[in-house]
Amino acid sequence: MNNMSPEVALHRISPELRPLLCSVVRNGRVGLDSTNCLRVTDLKTGCTSLTPGPCCDRFKLHIPYAGETLKWDIIFNARYPELPPDFIFGEDAEFLPEPSELPHLVQWDAGDPECLLQLVKELIQQYHQYQCQRLRESSRLLFEYDSLLEDPNYGRNMEIYAGRKNSWVGDRIVLVCPSFISIMSSLSQDTALDPGEDVALLSVSFEDAEATQVFPKLYLSPSIEHALGGSSALHIPAFPSGGCLIDYVPQVCQLLTNKVQYVIQGYHKRREYIAAFLSHFGMGVVEYDAEGFTKLTLLLMWKDFCFLVHVDLPLYFPRDQPTLTFQSVYHFTNSGQLYSQVQKSYPYSPRWDGNEMAKRAKAYFKSFIPQFQEGAFANGKL
Amino acid sequence: MAASISGYTFSSVCFHSANSNSDHEGFLLGEVRQEETVSISDTQISTAELLQVVEIHNHDPCAQLFSFYDYAGKVNEDNLNRILKDRRKSVIGWYRFRRNTQQQMSFREQIIHKQLTQLLGVPDLVFLLFSFISTANSSTHALEYVLFRPNRRYNQRITLTIPNLGNTSQQEYKVSSVPNTSLNYAKVIKEHGAEFFDKDGVMKDIRTIFQVYSALQDKVQAVCGEVEQSERVKEKIQEDVNKLKQQIALRKRKTAEEERRLREAQNAESHPTSEENSEPSETSLLSRVAFHAPSAPERPGTSPNPPSYSDLLSQEDSLLSSSSSPTSAALLPRPQAVGSPGHPTPGPLGMGLDRQAAGQEDDDDDDDDDDDDDEDSSEYENLVSEAAHLPMVSASVLAQGRPAALSPDGDARGSQTS
Repeated sequence: MNNMSPEVALHRISPELRPLLCSVVRNGRVGLDSTNCLRVTDLKTGCTSLTPGPCCDRFKLHIPYAGETLKWDIIFNARYPELPPDFIFGEDAEFLPEPSELPHLVQWDAGDPECLLQLVKELIQQYHQYQCQRLRESSRLLFEYDSLLEDPNYGRNMEIYAGRKNSWVGDRIVLVCPSFISIMSSLSQDTALDPGEDVALLSVSFEDAEATQVFPKLYLSPSIEHALGGSSALHIPAFPSGGCLIDYVPQVCQLLTNKVQYVIQGYHKRREYIAAFLSHFGMGVVEYDAEGFTKLTLLLMWKDFCFLVHVDLPLYFPRDQPTLTFQSVYHFTNSGQLYSQVQKSYPYSPRWDGNEMAKRAKAYFKSFIPQFQEGAFANGKL
Repeated sequence: MAASISGYTFSSVCFHSANSNSDHEGFLLGEVRQEETVSISDTQISTAELLQVVEIHNHDPCAQLFSFYDYAGKVNEDNLNRILKDRRKSVIGWYRFRRNTQQQMSFREQIIHKQLTQLLGVPDLVFLLFSFISTANSSTHALEYVLFRPNRRYNQRITLTIPNLGNTSQQEYKVSSVPNTSLNYAKVIKEHGAEFFDKDGVMKDIRTIFQVYSALQDKVQAVCGEVEQSERVKEKIQEDVNKLKQQIALRKRKTAEEERRLREAQNAESHPTSEENSEPSETSLLSRVAFHAPSAPERPGTSPNPPSYSDLLSQEDSLLSSSSSPTSAALLPRPQAVGSPGHPTPGPLGMGLDRQAAGQEDDDDDDDDDDDDDEDSSEYENLVSEAAHLPMVSASVLAQGRPAALSPDGDARGSQTS
């Protein structure tokens, strides 16, 4: 029942309701976290058990919101598919939206496949307002929220979750780092990253009303995380005690921006590097990474001795030195691999431009190759 | 708050629900009443408990969904009236049936409930939720029902009892107060009711039984009166008997004394013995005789004073001569209560003797024999058994004594001491 793939759910649901569920399951993105789709579980039927399937007309919808997952029951009637659904809001028993605020409910159109999705979006909006209402009880978070609301950068894109008194879940604000997104879009022009799927969310949890226990967390979509060098590379500063979000959030955003800038710079630098090598070594280039510009392989000859040079550009190039791996085309090691030597330290400076690096690399090859050749003949076998 | 639903209503709702191929809803008709229970116990002052009881008598299923509300959940009052018609005032709640869902009020249900509460004017409108859960392979189906009263903040769920559904061997069969609204039933009862009910609506049998009861009560009352009278007569007679007994005893004593005197006189002539052989009773008898001496000069009839002792003695003699063996026993002195002076006053005896002189002695004696109660019979037995020990008897009999209060003339004897 759980972790049902969307296709299975679509297969089991009553045919008249299928289009509605289709748009929810396939295209459903509500809220800030657009990487997490809406999930459907617990498909059940409201018809008698003798009714031949597929006739499921009620299910549980999992909606990510503010770091939590809302589990709402949606109840249709398969025998009357033109009727609008009913909802049970799970643990939020006190959430009762005003029907007049739900235009897609009042003018329910079963023929419109997007109707259910739109209705869910409207409900989420109402839920957001409901959570803001609940925040009234905690003045600290309310202050934070109001101050952020006024800032046009963040105001539109926040999700609030006012925690429950009896559970360990504290209050939480999740917001999008907007400047980050703009940077990402510029990155996407150079890379194949699709900005629509990437998201950077800052989630700040307040465990108590005095804001002495504040836990900020940064959620990045996987591609961004990878592009930035993994989760270990990205550390956000701790929330200063006594500080406010209105100060903290720009701080985090700035940090991210810097990081991204750096990455972008690195990207450009790498591209420059590769381009320079291409122009210097021309026909000697076997292959190179044309997307991320992280690798380059050269086939060079020196005094009738052919060898390969693999260049690996690290993430933080040019700060970090590229790794050169020399490989003999004739000799094998005992394990059957081509004999190779790795060179990590060679004359290098991050301040050189690509051209300079290529020239220097060439010079280095010339100086190193006799050594390598000897080594290959000595240790490798043909 | 307690709630109950009659078994047939419940099964009817289930039938309608289970046969519908979608969700189903309807209205619950019944009544709400307040029950006050006052409990009194020895340890505490009485406490009164107020319980609100909701009784569901009937239900009114809706033919289709959204029949009285629109997509936004707004209740249309006209449609509502059309569905309920004149049953509107007996609506106490509504119900909904949905399969395979949680036991929680849904969004639309809550909205509708609020509006219904206002429109119908029932502040504690209840909501009965039926949920039909089936297992995946349809092997087990469970019908769950929960009664909510959503207008309260706390304790929203009420237990719904179905009377007579359960182990009836251990419980009494409960009769519910559901009024019978069937027209056919009313017609039949009206037709044939005259045979069983009188004009006031009370069953005829009850009246007849009550009449029998009243007659029995009257009879019992009459018998009570008779018993009372006979008891009084018996009392009187008992008094007389006691008096007679006293007289007899007195006379016996006198004769005994006479004989002793004679004997003594004879002995004194023949044997000048000491007075060691004289019985202590003789001295007591003598003392008794001496006690009576002051009243001796009085004569009966001439004054209201009791008759003289000599007269009493003479009368006793006459009595003694006429009586047979029982009176020989009656010669023995009568046992007296412990502490009493041990002799009857001449007054009551005199009165009694006067009556006896009328010639009813024998009857009285016979009556005495018959009417003796236990105490008297025991006394009589004592007298009979000790007939042989004539001289000694007075002391031993005296020693036994009798409680003064128990006999009819106890008071009289009690007053002898004063």
